[in-house]
Amino acid sequence: MQKNYFDRVHRWGILWNIGALLMLLSIPVLISTYYGAWPELSVLWKVLSKLMLLYWVTAVVEVITYVPMLGAGGTYLSFVTGNITNLKLPVGLAAMENANVRANTEEGEVVSTIAIGVSSITTTIIIAVGVLVFSPVLPYITAENSAFRPAFEWVLPALFGALGASYFAKHWKLVPLPVIVGVIVLIFSPTMGVGTLMFVTIVAAVLGAFVMVKKNWL
Amino acid sequence: MDFKENTFMYAIALGVVAFVTLQSVFFIVKSWKHAKELGIEKEKLKNTVVSSILFTVAPAISILATVIVLANALGIVLPWIRLTVIGNLAYETTAAQTAVEAMGGTLTSSIADKQQFSTVAWAMTIGSIAPLIMLPFVCKKLQTKIGSAVNKNENAAKLGDAISAAAFIGIISAFIARALAGTTSDGAGNAGFMSISVLIVAMVSMVILELVCKKFKLEKLRPFTMPIAMFIGMGSAMLFEAVLPENIINFVWR
Repeated sequence: MQKNYFDRVHRWGILWNIGALLMLLSIPVLISTYYGAWPELSVLWKVLSKLMLLYWVTAVVEVITYVPMLGAGGTYLSFVTGNITNLKLPVGLAAMENANVRANTEEGEVVSTIAIGVSSITTTIIIAVGVLVFSPVLPYITAENSAFRPAFEWVLPALFGALGASYFAKHWKLVPLPVIVGVIVLIFSPTMGVGTLMFVTIVAAVLGAFVMVKKNWL
Repeated sequence: MDFKENTFMYAIALGVVAFVTLQSVFFIVKSWKHAKELGIEKEKLKNTVVSSILFTVAPAISILATVIVLANALGIVLPWIRLTVIGNLAYETTAAQTAVEAMGGTLTSSIADKQQFSTVAWAMTIGSIAPLIMLPFVCKKLQTKIGSAVNKNENAAKLGDAISAAAFIGIISAFIARALAGTTSDGAGNAGFMSISVLIVAMVSMVILELVCKKFKLEKLRPFTMPIAMFIGMGSAMLFEAVLPENIINFVWR
């Protein structure tokens, strides 16, 4: 049973994944064809060589980091809709935590997939409505002197504070090591992106947990 | 009419929105059916839906803010498309900036040249598709390995639980470390008074809300404690900026 359901999810996922890839590539093709304006290859290459060095390497780290935690359906959805670290991952984690189910089980799989799917639809609707209806007023809400600006500027500490508190209360012994390692890394490399930093802190936390389980400290 | 915001561009955007929505609906329906087969209560699933929506609203509005920022140079439709598929805040801005600057422009002025516009579209797309190329080859392998490793026996399950908790904590730690000691290349969001205060307010609110739920047996409130704590954290940021002197708000140590 277990194997069957996951197998099916992967099959659907791969099909949607290929569809998404084709759909994505068709966007610049359509734009270039419609406007009769294709990029100059030398310019495009100059830009892509910079971007790909940065983002194709990060992609390898991201895939390895997120795939075990998002579940199968959650992974295929998240990588198509994006905004994983700041949205899909915390939503999936919070849902599994609230529903009291474990990642990498069928229960965890369905709960995180539903949460991430709902989150994707919500994001899509908010962006679409925002663009179509509110785009004239939005600049005022996020403007430098708007009363709401600080709320959105600090949305990430608020999100991860709320998510962190319930995890930390349950597993406090696992907390100090990754936080300290993260701070030390940032002292030497203060602008390191959170995606790369995350890889370091996850490795630290997992190694710490491994040692603690083996020594029966947990 | 601006070629960056004409009917053709809107048609592409709506197509993308339809694709993403369909895929999400497909997976939700399949998971929902299977959840029933597994005997998960409907109440639990409903709570998952409502709390996920609440959790998503605020970050989604920050994503929308990025769309608006990029709209200066690219019109509103291309950023909308890009942030609906794969896009993320940091990546799309960097990609657009790199592309525009390579052609001698800046993100603050509107692109008037169609070739430049299509170059940006190509760069943003190709730069971001690596994960989609990798997933069909690695996703199943990675998850099957991990699944069979943690479901082997009780000891392995215990170790697996500890390790997945640790991995979650590793993720959250990265953000906490950033709030404690991080900085960004543009200087916005440096670690300082605001980042720590908001973090602490959100954490404390979460703990208090959990205790309240426990004490007064408010099981119905429990799924919403996390989004509520997040909103309280965001509200505290507004309050701090409104009432505290500027030198405290702007105090950063990075």
